[in-house]
Amino acid sequence: MKAYIIRRLLYMVLTLFGASVLIFGLYALTPGDFVDNNPKLTDERKAELKQMYGLDKPVVERYFVWLGNAVRGDFGYSLQYQQPVTSLLSQYIWNSFLIASASTLFTWLIAIVIGVISATRQYSFFDSAVTIGAFAAMSFPSFFAGLLIIKFFAVDLGWFPPGGMITTGSNATGLAYVWEVIDHMFLPVLVLTMLGVGSLTRYFRTNMLEIIRQDFIRTARAKGLKEKTVVYKHALRNALLPAITLLGFELPALFGGAIITEKIFNWPGVGQLYMQAFSLRDYPLLMGFTMFLAILTVVSNLLADLLYGVADPRVRLK
Amino acid sequence: MKKGLISALLLILVGAVSVSGCSTQESASDNQTPAAPQETRTVQSIPDSFFPATDKSKSPEAAKKRTDTVVATLTEPGGVFNPYFYKNGYDGNVSAAIFAPLVSVDKNGKPIPRLAEKWDISDDQLTYTFHLRPNLKFSDGSPLTAEDVAFTLTILHDKAYDGDEDIFETQIKGGRAYKEGKADTVEGIKVIDPQTIQITTEKVNARSLLILGGPVLSKAYYGKGYKPGNLEYLRTLHGKPLGAGPYKLEKYITGQEVRYLANEHYYAGKPAVEHFIYKTTEGDALQFFQTGETDYNSFTANEDNLELLKSLGYANINVYTSTAYSYIKFNHSKPYFKDKRVRQALIYGLDRQKIVDTAYQGYGQVANVPVSPVSWAYTEEVNPYHYDLEKAKALLDEAGWKVGADGIREKDGQKLKLYYLTTKGPLSDVLIPIAKENYKELGVQLEAELMDYNALLARTAKGDHDLASFSTTMLTDPSDGVIQFGSNRSSSFTGTNGYSNPKVDELLEKGISTLDIEKRKEIYKELYNELSDDPPYIFLTYRKLLTAHNARVSGFDPNGYTGISGNLPDLKIEPIQ
Repeated sequence: MKAYIIRRLLYMVLTLFGASVLIFGLYALTPGDFVDNNPKLTDERKAELKQMYGLDKPVVERYFVWLGNAVRGDFGYSLQYQQPVTSLLSQYIWNSFLIASASTLFTWLIAIVIGVISATRQYSFFDSAVTIGAFAAMSFPSFFAGLLIIKFFAVDLGWFPPGGMITTGSNATGLAYVWEVIDHMFLPVLVLTMLGVGSLTRYFRTNMLEIIRQDFIRTARAKGLKEKTVVYKHALRNALLPAITLLGFELPALFGGAIITEKIFNWPGVGQLYMQAFSLRDYPLLMGFTMFLAILTVVSNLLADLLYGVADPRVRLK
Repeated sequence: MKKGLISALLLILVGAVSVSGCSTQESASDNQTPAAPQETRTVQSIPDSFFPATDKSKSPEAAKKRTDTVVATLTEPGGVFNPYFYKNGYDGNVSAAIFAPLVSVDKNGKPIPRLAEKWDISDDQLTYTFHLRPNLKFSDGSPLTAEDVAFTLTILHDKAYDGDEDIFETQIKGGRAYKEGKADTVEGIKVIDPQTIQITTEKVNARSLLILGGPVLSKAYYGKGYKPGNLEYLRTLHGKPLGAGPYKLEKYITGQEVRYLANEHYYAGKPAVEHFIYKTTEGDALQFFQTGETDYNSFTANEDNLELLKSLGYANINVYTSTAYSYIKFNHSKPYFKDKRVRQALIYGLDRQKIVDTAYQGYGQVANVPVSPVSWAYTEEVNPYHYDLEKAKALLDEAGWKVGADGIREKDGQKLKLYYLTTKGPLSDVLIPIAKENYKELGVQLEAELMDYNALLARTAKGDHDLASFSTTMLTDPSDGVIQFGSNRSSSFTGTNGYSNPKVDELLEKGISTLDIEKRKEIYKELYNELSDDPPYIFLTYRKLLTAHNARVSGFDPNGYTGISGNLPDLKIEPIQ
């Protein structure tokens, strides 16, 4: 087991190296850079600034300078924000994490419950209704759903704030602050959950259907176990196994930010920061953020594999 | 990561869809010409106007409850609150409330005194003497003197300075020597007494006054630990600004709000409104205005938005003209544009009025000179280039471009086929189909390609285009709008890829070599006529801006030069019964 983990860690380093080459290469290939997109500068001034920022050096050299610093944990200063990339990201990333984790939690809870019920009552009225509902919710574009929800719940009914994370100018602290943030979170989390729940429901339904038809379920029923125990203890546990892999993929998404939803609800998340950085070609910030997500992806894959072994004895390494 | 990328792609898609909305769709490779619209409608050009609120009491409760706070929207401040170091225009807006300049401009772009009570300019127009108001203070109570002005101008000369201000344009005596480390001070900056500073330049430049009379940084605060060649330490102060403007920073909540407190040391007296907030919002953020969370918003200028704002009842609405202009630039390195008749024909042959009317529904007017109608330099005494197909045809015939068998003009075996590069937007959605149709009638084939802004910059810098669409940023001095037409300028964005006209060069030089506005007016008029005859660009439009504020707040009077930053000291909240 130890050797396996060490081997996987080595692979991880290689994967990340490959990812960094790719990411750097792609950003270097995108036309335009931070200095060129400022229309006010003269050519002479542009040359000076490029030299100051190191943008005049060849791409390969820039990459290794960046890599050398990154290995030491220094991702540099954002060109636009004039702040270290790491501190900048930490200011935004937790806001994104907040709505992403809440919506992921609700998405999974709702999806599991609905998935199981519609699998056990396949082709019932409930099943068809949920299927239609799930597809309808999935096919709503998030910007449309978001705007519609703002119009109904915030502007017309006035039940929830139209966006942002706190009431403008609010000085709330402690519990009042927490309550204010929850109030502002409600609508964006609703939209994200609505969009995510559809596909996940279908996934659990299919998994359950497959498991329920297997021999060990028939055995369980034959031994006279209650239907409830059969479904929730024996079937559900097995149906959840492949979901571990899925959960692994959710980890980077938790920190990745939901660009559209954040934009519409004015949520100060990292998705907005990323878009802004991209339109201004703020390389240090783009590289730092993308690498952070790459690291999360690789780590969560490893975690998923290890957890799989814990949950399912059949794939445990000897 | 995957999800992030996909979302990014989606966003681009969504942006494209939502921007185009119901306007004409046209893909880049689409060669069909859409049918001409059957219905003709005359569009009235909307003048700059003010619509007062009809019923102030309709103001939402949330706004009424804010008795000592005014909230305005701002797209995306980045946290660099220093007027000389910000990298993002919104930080410029944030800084404008905190830092006051010596000299500002009025709504026609003419200089007005702020921290400087007055200024004298020597007879040779090279030496500027600024007289500061008595007893000026920074917001921490420390005195603001000529030393602070001298310090500000000095660090702009530092070789490590990476901001947008180009102090070398003013050519202060000894500036280069300071940058190269050959001198300890800038020779041309002389502090006469704490209230007087004299600056000697080496070249007459009409733009110098505003650059020299910019915002003032405190030497005691920003100069602590300054060594020539090292400005790194300033980064730690970008989030804790200290200035002499009407407001001081209270708190910056990343991605959400910038909160200000009234500055009791402001020279014109402490502003009446204690708290001012810039709220970070995307787009027009109408929902915040409707729910009363904000008091001041800007909107896309169109009929729908105006009607909606009027229907709210509590909105005071301003329609005013931007100081920017938009244009299509010719690639002057292409041999077929050498003949000015070809360029003239392409202007006569393009129905700009129809394009502007369709795209902006009266909230924009056709541009014929590279300066906004609100500027003192604006003139209508140039060739208006009204749409005239026959004249355009005649000009191309004269230039030797004859109609070929397939209807496309050709000369020496080369067909007149033009590549037009642009970004996706309301203007290009309308412009592409109309231009294709117009030019087809003229015997010119137009191929359009849409791309993102950065790609457009890179491609036009390489000269991949025949025609390309751009809009300028906000322009203060008339010279800002024409500087790129000089043959010695070759910047990729503003550049012309090789436009050269000795008379234009001469007039450009003359335009900034006197500080007398009346003389400059005449020079610019001559210049605009020359640019009209030998066109470097196809000028397209000046746009209108639309803003609204809750009528409970008085004092907002935005203009195209300084937005609302000049109004901040005068804001007042009028309680609503």
